[in-house]
Amino acid sequence: METGLDMTLPVQMVLGALLGLSVYLPLASGQLSLATPGFYAIGGYCAALLSTGWPALGGELPTFPLPSLLLELVLGGGLAGLIALLIGRPVLRLQGIYLAIATIALVEILRVLNLNLPFTGGALGIFAIPQPFNDPAGYLAAASLLLALACWLCQRLETMRLGRAQAAVRDDELAARSMGIDTARVKLTSFVLSAVIAGVTGVLSAHFLNTWNAKQGSFDASITTLAFVVFGGSRTWLGPVLGGLVLTALPELLRPIGDLRLVVYGLVILVGPVLFPQGLITPERLKQWRQLLPQRGRPRRAEP
Amino acid sequence: MDNLLQILFNGLSVGAVYALFALGYTLVFSVLGVINFAHGAVFTLGAYFTYLLLGGAVGSNGLLAGAQLPEGLPFWVALVLAGLGCALVSVGLEAVAFGPLRRRQAEPLLSLITSLGAGVVLVNLIQILMGAEGYALPAGSLGQLPVTLELGGARVRTIQVVLMLVSALVLVLLTLWLERSRGGKALQAVAEDATTARLLGIDSDAMIQLCFAVSGFLAGLSGGLVGLSLSITGPYFGIGYGLKALGVLVLGGLGSVPGAVLAGLIVGLAEALVPGEWSGYKDAVAFAFLFGMLLLRPQGLLGRAVVTKV
Repeated sequence: METGLDMTLPVQMVLGALLGLSVYLPLASGQLSLATPGFYAIGGYCAALLSTGWPALGGELPTFPLPSLLLELVLGGGLAGLIALLIGRPVLRLQGIYLAIATIALVEILRVLNLNLPFTGGALGIFAIPQPFNDPAGYLAAASLLLALACWLCQRLETMRLGRAQAAVRDDELAARSMGIDTARVKLTSFVLSAVIAGVTGVLSAHFLNTWNAKQGSFDASITTLAFVVFGGSRTWLGPVLGGLVLTALPELLRPIGDLRLVVYGLVILVGPVLFPQGLITPERLKQWRQLLPQRGRPRRAEP
Repeated sequence: MDNLLQILFNGLSVGAVYALFALGYTLVFSVLGVINFAHGAVFTLGAYFTYLLLGGAVGSNGLLAGAQLPEGLPFWVALVLAGLGCALVSVGLEAVAFGPLRRRQAEPLLSLITSLGAGVVLVNLIQILMGAEGYALPAGSLGQLPVTLELGGARVRTIQVVLMLVSALVLVLLTLWLERSRGGKALQAVAEDATTARLLGIDSDAMIQLCFAVSGFLAGLSGGLVGLSLSITGPYFGIGYGLKALGVLVLGGLGSVPGAVLAGLIVGLAEALVPGEWSGYKDAVAFAFLFGMLLLRPQGLLGRAVVTKV
């Protein structure tokens, strides 16, 4: 496994970017939810329990069949989404810091349940989760495919009714409601989408990590994933993706400096928001960069 | 009945620590409207300070390996000094994690991140200096006091009594200071409206620093007390307490001092009453309370409902 480090890091980075998007989606409608690690843990347990406990999926085979993985992605994402749908109504009535704290509580309650329920393997968790791919490259392809799908969804949202409504709710919820936008529905949809992305990321992660335990969904993870979004910039989907890629890689890249790496990581999270309050990527900066690109033969699109 | 008395007593003494800890959160929240996620790290620091001041030796894994005070201080001196040390650290924290953002009038959400970054730095510095191992405070830390006391037929540990007494004392002092002194009134004015307070001649920045100092003192004190009563399980041991205190904070009502105390005692008692066979779920009690409270009555037990004006 030691030699696999350089290949496993990109997989972790892409998974980090997916989690960044999961935090971004509720934030796009102005809701700070830190529930992502909870849904991530649910997805992971779903995959771990199904693949080790349901022989029909092919867990005994040398390589875990891809259709079974696909089924798990659907079930894990679906379960996370369903739970989000059920708890979303009451929870999303809360605003600002109250919503953030409620979602932290949710993650902690799920963590304690995962630690104590009879079928989740206690503190040690679930071992020997079968492998659908024989090398990290396979995981990288699968994770990248998921990321591409999620990015495509976020890009599409910007021109769709839902995405426009998200932006309106984010800018001014009251004004949005008075314009006839069903704000509760918009917030709930964003929350469920976020949970689905976290759930499928958990499914893939569980196979990739080979074991799954309650530590996967903890308060630390809530803040780390939020840092992805704040660091990268919360106003475009590109920001969280960049933040997830960079901040996941950072502790690994800093490994040579040993114990100091987490101090440096903490400093980056501490100083980043002070230097870049809007994050690294903002719509304005994107526009500037786009203008810097050399003009190719095709005509420029009209500004909206 | 002995047993029930004992359980109640345990619950109250744990609750007193939660209350003390949550008070620090609540002070900062009432003034800045943000949660200081480095509070748990300051609590941890308080426990380590207390350990060192009592004459404990650093284990072999840290950079400071083998360092030790020539002579341990009496526990109450050590506690107060540890609290003061933490107050200083907390003021430093404000200067790096909160001040720059406030002066730029950045989104309050950002200080969640910066304070957590500061917490990560603190915890890992502790780990580098002191090593990752747990520490038990030196035996006989309480000086002449006996280890256990007989109270109404139940045997209780002296440290638990100390814990409750110190918490009660701090609470009374804090309330008096907030309600009766010029400084406390000024702090309340800043909490109400920093700009107006400044127009009235109150140095808002200095009040905010003072607020962090008091909050840090409370965190250091509670950290030291928990260290004395249980043990230090490693550099990360404050985080769990920090999260539970968050639950206490919401249960009592964000920004409410009596609310934080009441909620701390309720959560402590509720945890102590969890039957043995369910003890694994004990850690979820505070969060279950928190979650239920937010859904039923978001302003908390004793908090004020926020009316938004348009």
